[in-house]
Amino acid sequence: MRGTDLKPRIERFNAAERVAHWMVAICFLYSAFSGLSLWSHRFYWMAAVLGGGETVRAWHPIGGAMFAAALGVLFVKWARQMVLDRDDLAWLAVGHRYAMHEEEGVPESGRFNAGQKVLFWVQTAGALMLLVSGVVLWFPQAMPRALRLAAVFVHPLAAVVSLGAIIVHIYMSTLVVPGALRAMTKGWVRPGWAKAHHGKWYREVAGK
Amino acid sequence: MKQTVAKLIDTTLCIGCKACEVACQEWNDQEFSQGVFHNSYQTMPDLAAHFWNLIKFHEVEKPAGPVWLMAKYQCMHCADAGCLRACPAPGAIIQRENGIIDFVEENCIGCGYCITGCPFDVPRLSPRTNKVYKCSLCSDRVAVGLSPACIKACPTSCLTFGSRADLKFLAEKRAEELRAEGFSAAGVYDGPGVGGTNVLYVLKYADEPELYGLPKDPKIPWTVRLWKGPLKWVGNTIFFGGILAAIVHYLKVGPKEAHEDD
Repeated sequence: MRGTDLKPRIERFNAAERVAHWMVAICFLYSAFSGLSLWSHRFYWMAAVLGGGETVRAWHPIGGAMFAAALGVLFVKWARQMVLDRDDLAWLAVGHRYAMHEEEGVPESGRFNAGQKVLFWVQTAGALMLLVSGVVLWFPQAMPRALRLAAVFVHPLAAVVSLGAIIVHIYMSTLVVPGALRAMTKGWVRPGWAKAHHGKWYREVAGK
Repeated sequence: MKQTVAKLIDTTLCIGCKACEVACQEWNDQEFSQGVFHNSYQTMPDLAAHFWNLIKFHEVEKPAGPVWLMAKYQCMHCADAGCLRACPAPGAIIQRENGIIDFVEENCIGCGYCITGCPFDVPRLSPRTNKVYKCSLCSDRVAVGLSPACIKACPTSCLTFGSRADLKFLAEKRAEELRAEGFSAAGVYDGPGVGGTNVLYVLKYADEPELYGLPKDPKIPWTVRLWKGPLKWVGNTIFFGGILAAIVHYLKVGPKEAHEDD
């Protein structure tokens, strides 16, 4: 519903993408906090918040499996758009300047910038490792010892990488780039936003 | 400080009567376990969630002829316990002052990490309760000055209970005796790789503990050590460092300019 807002809008994420993204986000956050409760005794109070240790042990794997499934949907939708091109590599080389808002000399981005693309591949790789090791930890009785020994290390290792990357993603999208969160909730951005943050993509959609 | 208690198993005196198995089942009020016959003098193929004490039977060919090796198998009550290191639920596995490693059923969440952390493959998950169980060295009996049920039942003095220091001395003396009798490989098995176990064995063939079904060099798995050691530090640094970095960045650099009305 546009209401009284008659200023121009560009659709950034369609409804299917938004639903898939928030399914991923909800499952990720549940898996993250329930997982953190078992990461350290000092975080065990999170298990109390989530229904107790036994509940966490029962539901963390299910939340994780749902996260992997939802990410699978996003993967199918976005994988091709997430391939890094030459401009993206140049962008990464001057990524520190992007972080300091010194945008001159930072190559223009397409629909996703190089940072978002790297996040996508880090989360995809992390989710694969978490899924495989997670299945081993889910059914320890059915797994050979060597696999379990690998899984108890691989699972938290992948979780650390995945959580580290998500801290950056959540911070960037909620606090650093005004308008980014609305693009993922309501689905649209202003043309000026598109031009400033995703110049190549803006010309594509505006030139149509 | 309380003395560390221990159990000494002199395998050379075991006659395989299984009195200790029965006493363990009785005292710990275990549910009935159907024995399985598989052409062996062993009651059960393996330990189970409600079968904590098993006399393993091995028939081994030695130059002098075949030998029967009986070795009681149960929790080793390690000084540096792999199960305890791996356990994510506070209070589910505790190390008592007297060295006993106890599993506390109501705090167990059934994740099974202790099974992976244990170098002796002792804890067992019950599919019925979804909790893990093992020998408690009869901590309830020991607490009131009694010896564990298995010790009480043993008719041959193969099993002895006492302070670890005393039993270690006894065990070394017995091994010396055996060596004097011609068993040149006799010795004491007490898991130095896990800081010493509070279950000690006297073995005729101490150079080959595998013959008895005991691991040659029990150690806490390196993946468990890496996970509970360096990875935890790296992870906590990333979690808290990441949040701190975001706060500092927001206050120093702030958000990118908005283009709301373009």
